[in-house]
Order: sequence, then structure tokens, then C-alpha cells
Amino acid sequence: MTTKLDSPLDVAAILAQLQRTREQLNDRKSATARIATMNFVIFVDDPAHRSWVVERAARVTGKHPSRSIVLDSTGIGEGVELSTSVTSLECATVFNEHVVIGVAGLEHGTIVRLVHDLCVPGVPLFLWWSGARFLQSRTFSGLAEAATGVLLDSSGHASGEETIRELGDFPARFPHVVLRDLAFMRLAAWQDMIAQFFDDPALREDLFSIRSLHIDSGSDAEALYLAGWLGSRLSWEPAEGRTFIDRRGKRVPFTMEHKGGRRRILRVRLASDDSTYVAELSGDDCNAVCLHVEGAKAKPMFCMPLQNVDNALLVERAILTGSRDQIFETSLLAVRGLLR
Amino acid sequence: MSGMATQIGVRAGSDGNAAPAGPNPLRAGLDTTRIAEPCNIVFFGATGDLTKRMLMPAMYNLRLADTLPVNFGIVGFSRSKLASEDFRSQMKAAVDQFSRSGPARDPLWTDFANRLSYVGGEFDDTEAFRRLRRQLEENDARLGTAGNRLFYLSTPPTVFAKIVQQLALAGLGPKDQERGWSRIVIEKPFGTNLESARALQAEVTKAFEERHVYRIDHYLGKEPVQDIMALRFANVIFEPIWNRRYIDCVQITAAETVGVEGRGGYYDGAGALRDMIQNHVLNLLALVAMESPVTPAADNIRDEKFKVLTALRPIGPDQVMKMTARGQYGPGLIDGKPVAGYRDEPSVDPDSITDTYASVKFFIDNWRWAGVPFYLRSGKRLARKMSEIAVIFNHIPHRIFGESGDAIETNTLVMKIQPEEGVSLRFNAKVPGQKMHIRAVTMDFNYGSGFGVVSPPAYERLIADAMRGDATLFTRWDAVEAAWQAVTPIVERWSASRTVDFPNYLAGSQGPQSADALLVADGREWRRI
Repeated sequence: MTTKLDSPLDVAAILAQLQRTREQLNDRKSATARIATMNFVIFVDDPAHRSWVVERAARVTGKHPSRSIVLDSTGIGEGVELSTSVTSLECATVFNEHVVIGVAGLEHGTIVRLVHDLCVPGVPLFLWWSGARFLQSRTFSGLAEAATGVLLDSSGHASGEETIRELGDFPARFPHVVLRDLAFMRLAAWQDMIAQFFDDPALREDLFSIRSLHIDSGSDAEALYLAGWLGSRLSWEPAEGRTFIDRRGKRVPFTMEHKGGRRRILRVRLASDDSTYVAELSGDDCNAVCLHVEGAKAKPMFCMPLQNVDNALLVERAILTGSRDQIFETSLLAVRGLLR
Repeated sequence: MSGMATQIGVRAGSDGNAAPAGPNPLRAGLDTTRIAEPCNIVFFGATGDLTKRMLMPAMYNLRLADTLPVNFGIVGFSRSKLASEDFRSQMKAAVDQFSRSGPARDPLWTDFANRLSYVGGEFDDTEAFRRLRRQLEENDARLGTAGNRLFYLSTPPTVFAKIVQQLALAGLGPKDQERGWSRIVIEKPFGTNLESARALQAEVTKAFEERHVYRIDHYLGKEPVQDIMALRFANVIFEPIWNRRYIDCVQITAAETVGVEGRGGYYDGAGALRDMIQNHVLNLLALVAMESPVTPAADNIRDEKFKVLTALRPIGPDQVMKMTARGQYGPGLIDGKPVAGYRDEPSVDPDSITDTYASVKFFIDNWRWAGVPFYLRSGKRLARKMSEIAVIFNHIPHRIFGESGDAIETNTLVMKIQPEEGVSLRFNAKVPGQKMHIRAVTMDFNYGSGFGVVSPPAYERLIADAMRGDATLFTRWDAVEAAWQAVTPIVERWSASRTVDFPNYLAGSQGPQSADALLVADGREWRRI
């Protein structure tokens, strides 16, 4: 059921309409509970990206009892669009409420107040920020202050090294807010692949004699994060000139090259004193990664499925995991050091 | 990547043969759903019901979710004489009918089927096991499965020992292996009593070390069962009252509406006590009663479960009749439809005295639980399918609220395992109005609505764990032995006393009256099924 209202500022009218819709849809007046497990606020300012974000947000909120509030700053949408879906369970009626508000002409304080007034009280607020800038946006800061978690994509509308530099300040600015970056979350399969090399105890010592790291990737963020993750796990210190210093004080140069599809890693090459570890997308199957070791500890090639996870699932995973991700945060710190 | 002939190097996993080393620092914090190493999985009993209904659909769905390695093979082994092509057709029909993701789809199925092969033979036929070895070696070359092997015994328990012996004779055990790993998954029941379980364990350990043995209890793969630990150890509000000072009793129920469903031959030699209480239900008891493990590592959890099972107060032969009740269903109604009694089921002895219902009262002799009864029950053809753990708290020490006639109910925390999955808490509240009437209300958490995700079937989780070498959700031998020690006196006493009033409950009922009497004698009653 969809309803349109003209004024985004009339919060009372929006809430009253949501209430009316709930009453109309609730055919079981005896239902004992109305469930809402989160408020999901989505900010989008790129017209080309709008439908992509809104569709994925709807897929997530459609599964979870929630109120989603899309802040449409693209200028495409005006006024307010309200829709509600309902699922009847044995002991409760689950409502999924969607509010899309055109906020292109609104001042940041008004947007933040609007979100505050529209959120279901007492349940967490997750912010998916798909805007071009983060910390320099006062709307972002205002919403992040109130959020339990913030999700963004440093390989999306906002991208590049500047974006990651900016992100590096987030934990200090918002120490109580859980930060997730889709660009880092996409790397889970690659992290697993690289870890697999060193599951073999006979090769593990090589982790501590890595001499260089090279990554081919279609986007900066993924390559930087993968390097940051590896460096932070191995206690490497970032140094000048895109170099790490390992625990023995030796330099580990990191190089990266733009190759392959956007947001995709193409190849990772780790060289130790006497062997080279290579993981790369298979030429036969772009959804598989083949791994092999060259040199003194040579191992023949073996391949693993890449497990590319759909963005909607990544978003869902981000909001279901409510705690801070220390691995991500230390990786981000390492990247920040690299980009100094 | 199908048919890839890439040679795969030896990669020692958690149970490989390489020298011990420190943990892999790159594994810290990584998602535990990592992909297994390349391997073959061999299903013994491959044309049986479990393989068709559960195991093959689980494998297909793991492939669909990209949880399997690119290099994997599946070999079916069974008594039936079948060509590999016929086996593939049977497995496709099974996936079409039972997969949670719907019928098998191309091109995925074609690739999956290309990895299926079949070896027929008796379970004590040495030549058949040699053929199995050749098939595995061929798969290693053709599919790049690196010599890694997972043997899954989904056969009747009577042939477990034979299979293990033949695996060893064919040089398929880990001790004979030049490269890769071998693990064995053994379905329940592990033995039919303490003596036979020990004998089976002796056979298994001739070929496999304990770290290579995965005793499967599919209950442990269910999401709500894993949630028991989360509920207890990820919340601060329950643990302080999780003890004899606040808890009156614990009731654990595993009730089914189905009968023996074509398994009469097996079930008539087992019964509810051995089929359910000894494994599923005692595992639940251990999870509810154990102390907090130091870490979530497999052996830390299994250590704590073992301590609980060894603290179960032994039930002596003279106490069996006082501490237990047994039953067998007669004809009755399930969902309004008439169903036959147990003795009329196919392959069941018409004079059978096998228990289709068992209830036991256990005490745990430790500081936390001294004096708190744990009532366990499991049965077939009961009123409703329902598995749950109910923690029933003490009565309030002094009553100040409530009009005369108001019952002040005890608080009850229920962990619902199936078919509903979730947690509910019963507490007392004031009924609106001018008088201070008190009534019990329930607060519910349901997995489906709470997280909006469907829990994958337990077998998918457990097979993937075994392939990865994660034994957390599998039962260690010491726990199996302790569980048999707890129930064996009951098995023996029940077997010795053949004068029973079977059938003693109607299909579709709450179970036998003797089970009710077990609690009534303590001033308590069962929760309604």
C-alpha cells in the first residue's frame, strides 16, 4: 500500500498516515505485538545510483521488521512516499514501513531532526550513507551521531584515496558508532584465500619474511584495504612511500596497479625470501581464484570459488553484526598510515 | 572449472601431518564459514533414505552457495548394483524432490553431476573397497581433490565397524596416507550400549585418531541449539540465576508426531531411550547445564559438556523404575487421521517391548545443580512435533500481589528448537483494571521474524564443518561414553523386565500416564506437548 504526501516537514501527518496504514493492514486485531528491530536510514545523492541503492535497501528491509527512511537528495523525488508491507505470524504482526523523502532542498539540521522524529523509538538506527562526502557533510555528522551503525562504500559514489583518508578519522570522531565499509567487506573471500596459503604450518614462517606485496585491482579502496589488512595482521608499521616495516625492521614495499573490473581484485602477489605466493582470478572462470606458490616452496595450482557476495547481502550482514570490527578498524588505521 | 586436471599440492589442515606451528595470524577474525580444502566425500549408504532426503540436497545447496571448494568429488558407496549414471539420476531425483532451493538447475547440476560417481559392494567386501580406493585416486587426478577424503557413514550402525575395518584394509585410513587428510563422519547411534560403543570405538581408533572422527548428532547443527550458548554466555541477565538457587527444574522434550517411517527394523532394536535420549537429549542437557567454556574452541566446549555428563548421578538398577518411565504407542489419531499402533508397523515384532517413549529424571551432582531435577522425555506419535528446553524457575518466596484465586505462575524460559525456533519468557503482569489481578504473559523471540533469515538445515552446516575440519558441533568419544554410562543401567533394567503394559499410550496423545506420574510424585507436571 503506497501513499504520497506533499510536505516532508509535516512529521505528524507522516506518522499518522503510517498508523492508519498499519490499522488497515492489520486484519487480526488481537495481534499481541508489533515488531520492529531497526530503523534503517539511507542517504543517496547520486541520481545514477539512486535506484540501485533504493532497490538493495528494499531487499534488506523487506526481510527485517523495520522502518526504512530513504533520504533522497538526488532531486529526483519530491515530497514523501509511504509504503507498508505486512507479514502475519502466530504471535505477532510484522510491519515493514518505507518512507522516501525528497530532501534535496532541505537544510542539514532539518534533515537530522526529521529523521529523529520519524524513527521508531527504542530500536537501533543504521545509516547507509551513499553520499559523495562523509565527514565534511554536516548531514552525515548529524545522522551518524544518532546512529548505532554506519555503513558506506569507499568504492562507490565516494571513492579514491581522499575518501579513505577521511574515513580514517571516523573512529575518533564517533567512537561509539559501529563503522562498516562495503569495500572492506567485499574482501572476505580474498582474505580467506590468502590465509589458506599459510594454513599449511610448513609455509607459515614465510609470513614473517615477506619482502614485497603487489596487488592488481579495479579500484583503489579494495587494494588499499587488502594491503592494510595484511599489514595489520602481521604487525607491519606503515612508513613513507607506500612501504611497510615488518617486525624485524625490514622494508616491505607495497605496489598496486589499476587492472580488472571495478571493485574487484585481480591478482595478489606476495614475495618472501625464497618463494612467491600468487592468488589470481582464474582465466577460465571469473568466479574462481587460483592459488600457487613459486620458488623454493613451490606448490602446484589449486582453485577456490570466490564467493562474491551480493551487495544486498553485504548490507544485511553489516546491520546484523552490531559490534565493532576490530580487524576492519586496524586495517583502516594501517591504510591511513600508508596514505600519510 | 569442471574436470580441471590441475595437480594439487599437499596442504596440511588442522589435522594434517605437518609439524606443529603457531596459529595462522591471518585467520584471526575471519569469517568461520571459510571454504574447505579440495576433497572427496564418500557417502556409505548412498542409496538410503538419509542420503536422498538430507545429505545429497545438502551437498547441492552447499555447492549452490559456493561453500564447497572448486575441486571436490562425491562418491556413493552402497550394496545396490548401480552404474554411476544411474546413481546420478537417483541423486538428481532426490535433489529435485528434497532440496530447499527447489529442483536441480543447469548448468550447476551438470557440473555437480560430473563430480558424482558410484561404487557398489557389500560393506565387508575387500575388493569393493579396493575399487573405492581406485575411484578416489581417479578423482584426485581428474578433479584435483588432493588426496583429501571425508568418509560419511550413513548406514545402519551394525555395519559401522565393518566399514572402518575395510577402510583400513584398503589403505584408506589417515595412518596409511601419504598425502592429504582422511576424516570419518559417523551417524548416531554410536553403539547400542556402553559395551558395544567401546567395541566400536576400539575398531575406529585402529584406523582413525580421535581428531579424525566426527560423530554427528544433527541436533547440534540446528541454529537454536547453537543459540543456547549465546543466550547463556552472551547475556548478563541469565547466568546469575542459572543455578539451584533460582531454578526449580529443567524439562527437555523431543516429541515427534511421526512413527518409525520405514525404519521399523532398526528402531525395534533401538527404542526412544537409545535413539534420542542417549544422544540428542543428553547433548541438550549438557549445553544447558555446562559451565562457560574458556573460549569457543571445539575442545573447550567439549570439555565442559563432558564434565556435565560425568556429573550425572548414576541411576542404579533399583532406582530405574522410580526415575524413569517408558511407553509404546498404540493406534490413535494424528492430525485427525487414524494411524496404526507401533506393533502394527512394518518390520516391527508384533510382540515388541521396544520403547517408543522414554522419560528420565536425572540429577547433576555439582555445586551449580545439586538437587535440581532434569526431566528428559522423547517419544514418537505424540500430540505435536515439538523440541524445547524449558527452564522453570522457583516460586516467589512471598506473595504480596494477586486477588484471591489468582495463580502466581513460576517464570519459565523456553528455548524452542523445532518446529518453532526461538526463545520465550513467561512472567507475571497486572491485568488492567482497578483490582490487582495477576496473570502470566509471554514474551517471545522468534528467529524468523527477529532476524528475517531462514536457518539452513543442520546437515549443511555439519557437512561443511567436517570438510573444514571444525569439530565444534560433533560429539567427542568421552562424551559418548559418559552418555552411555548414564543410560546403560536403564537399558539393562528395562530389557530385564519384560512384563510391561505396552501399548500404554494412544498415538496423538501426551504420552503414557507413568511419565506423568514421574513428575506428579515430585509435585510437578510436564509442560503440555
